[in-house]
Amino acid sequence: MDEINVIVSGVGGQGILFATNVIIRTALKKGLNFSQSEVHGLSQRYGSIHTEIRIGPKVKSPLILEGTLDMLIAMEPLEAMRYANYVSERTIIVSNSHIIPPQSALLERFQVPNIDEIKELLLSLNPRKLVMFNATEIAAKKVGDPIVTNSVMLGGASATGVLPFSDQDIREVLESLVPEKYKEQNMRAFDLGYEEVKRILGGGLEDKA
Amino acid sequence: MLSVLAPAGRVEALLGNEAIVRGALEAGLDVAAAYPGTPSTEIGDTLGSIAKQVGVYFEWSTNEKVAVEVATAAAWSGLRALVSMKHVGLNVASDALFTLAYAGTKGGLVVVNAGDPSAHSSQNEQDNRYYAIAMGLPMLEPSNSQEAKDYTKEAFELSERYETPFILRTTTRVSHSRGPVLLGEIRKGRGRGSFKPERFDQYLQVGAIARKHHKILLDKLERIEKDLGKDSRFFKLEGEENSSLGIITSGISYSYAWEAIKLLGLRAKLLKLGLTFPFPKEVVSDFIDGLDTLIVVEELEPFLETQVTALAKDCAPELSIKGKLTGHFPRVAEYTPKIVVKALAAITGTPLPLDFEKIEKRAKSVLERLPSRPPVLCPACPHRATGYSLRRATSGKSTIYVGDIGCYALLFQKPFEVEHITHAMGSSVGFANGFSLATDQPVVALIGDSTFFHAGIPALINAVHNKHTFVAIILDNRITAMTGHQSHPGVPIDAMGEEAPMIDIGGLIRSIGVEFVKEIDPYNFKEMESALREALNRKGLSVIIAKRECALLTVRRKRRKGEKIVPYRVNPEKCTHCLVCINTYACPAFTDTGEKMMIDPSICFGCGSCVSICPFGAIEPSEGAKPWLEEGE
Repeated sequence: MDEINVIVSGVGGQGILFATNVIIRTALKKGLNFSQSEVHGLSQRYGSIHTEIRIGPKVKSPLILEGTLDMLIAMEPLEAMRYANYVSERTIIVSNSHIIPPQSALLERFQVPNIDEIKELLLSLNPRKLVMFNATEIAAKKVGDPIVTNSVMLGGASATGVLPFSDQDIREVLESLVPEKYKEQNMRAFDLGYEEVKRILGGGLEDKA
Repeated sequence: MLSVLAPAGRVEALLGNEAIVRGALEAGLDVAAAYPGTPSTEIGDTLGSIAKQVGVYFEWSTNEKVAVEVATAAAWSGLRALVSMKHVGLNVASDALFTLAYAGTKGGLVVVNAGDPSAHSSQNEQDNRYYAIAMGLPMLEPSNSQEAKDYTKEAFELSERYETPFILRTTTRVSHSRGPVLLGEIRKGRGRGSFKPERFDQYLQVGAIARKHHKILLDKLERIEKDLGKDSRFFKLEGEENSSLGIITSGISYSYAWEAIKLLGLRAKLLKLGLTFPFPKEVVSDFIDGLDTLIVVEELEPFLETQVTALAKDCAPELSIKGKLTGHFPRVAEYTPKIVVKALAAITGTPLPLDFEKIEKRAKSVLERLPSRPPVLCPACPHRATGYSLRRATSGKSTIYVGDIGCYALLFQKPFEVEHITHAMGSSVGFANGFSLATDQPVVALIGDSTFFHAGIPALINAVHNKHTFVAIILDNRITAMTGHQSHPGVPIDAMGEEAPMIDIGGLIRSIGVEFVKEIDPYNFKEMESALREALNRKGLSVIIAKRECALLTVRRKRRKGEKIVPYRVNPEKCTHCLVCINTYACPAFTDTGEKMMIDPSICFGCGSCVSICPFGAIEPSEGAKPWLEEGE
């Protein structure tokens, strides 16, 4: 492995920094070199936010070169589209299908694409694979709280095998970082996300969608 | 245990800002002070959370100038002190800092200054490296978390050796990047200091004494350049030694340049500067000696480029220097790996390893269909309620809305549009003074609680004394919200979590002679609107304190108490899809299904403030929901 480049994106408040932290701490635990960037401040307030993660012995820059993304983990599907410049044939997109329309689109009557259109648009980027599932619904209905959507997505991302460590490694770090009170919920969310993506992938990463 | 306090010898994943704190602890920090501001805030957040545990004093000062003065006095008393702020915070602190350069220091004093190229969370993207030159303060620029820690620690030693404060300058991508950091030993601070000037005039600055100190400062800088300019801790030489192509860089740009050289397979040598003021002339002139081409990779202004150009005139007049002055790099916005790869490829005539054009073209058709998602006020945000009432109370008037720095700056957005101006901390009130005398329009200043304490008070006093007429709304959400909930003098708790006297904003304003001062919960629309109307019809200064805690704090407290957040919902039988809710109140929880409005239960905090907005009474509580206004929360 030379380098693995990952973007975690979504809407401020979806637990993007936490999911990123789990991945980074797993890298640290495995003794891997990494560089990761995030944005704090006003942009957290329901705006579009993302983090960039780079893992590899020689990485220095905390920002990813466009076109060299290995995995896009999108907590919200419009926020998968936003990183179109980074996607190439080497990119696996793992995206939640629950759309959160931006308020400005409502106010400005901007026609927000529906989920089928979003899928089609993402596929037009020619990614290695697009995995889309409703993580919010899994979190809300099967776990009981939409707040654990990020753990569902993390489980889903782990199932792709793109990250340079096993799903078990990530699971352990997640478990160690979640407060006791929320542990059960988050672990269940992680496992459900993992199983869902395993199911979708079936034979592996070969076909497109 | 917090990573920042992990034992020596361990490698931890630290944000640049956390690494700065660790470096300070390893240097034996005693006192730290700061005012929050992106991207510097986590320095203070981290210090506040560990201060008591490690025996360090930390405070959120009312503004950056006060913070510098607090830290300076500690350093003059022989302690080690740190002060941190964002780039524009240095403007506020600069009055104290310029003269501090003359005065020098006894204990180590480090001024951390975090820049925000691209102005992600700022009103401008000024390049603060020029302050180092203008003030005469030496400056170190780390390029990653490890260096952020190491340089901070070194800066304390150097500050004491040369008896001058050191600036540690970061940018967003250093402060807010996380990388592995090998930790050293944490050292205990000195505890108590004592103030004993070595000469009667050491800290007096006027006339002949100031001129004498100016000379001392210039001598110091010369010595620092001579000693540290060649110190291998503060520069890094890499790449092919005999290459005729050289690249000079510093800070985060180093990481982009380093990777671009590898990616493009360039035969180049690379000089990364850690000490960027005083400019290390000797190292740089050695580096450019024998080069044909020099590329300067730095964000924002051509700071290194102009200095190296001046130097080359004498020692390498034939050298071709490529950078911003030659149009190869932009001066606006932060760099990205792509900007640097493309520029280096263009300058050296190297083919690009990726077909960026194809990627961009493909992406363009996706991005055209993508709505923008700017930050918006949170669900249940009290500022939304204030904006709503202000809009109603001023509709049809030619009101001038003067905003300030804080979350409420977002009230410039639709549907509120009650911010014509955001400028600098406290400027809302200052501008309102001027507008009231220059125009016959109604004038409303909007300023947050923390911003009011920071720089709003002098302008308000000015308005009273000079008899200006305007309405000042203090949006008091009981915290410094935008930067992530830091305490301020208006709350009963200090930065280290201790109980603290609380300054009563209303009492303070009444004491300067303002007669019309009303404290209103912004969820109480009727009262707010009628107070605003009354205030707008008065002569003289009127102040309305819109007081309600930041919704994120309310929700956090409810969750901690185990209370369930019960969302509101839209009754589809009653909803006529008139869109009044979205067009006047615009909570992010409102969703349009195309036929009916809906409240997204995963976003709604259950505040219930939107109920009275709907002309058809379609917004209803779900079972168990209680409006916050009734709870008094």
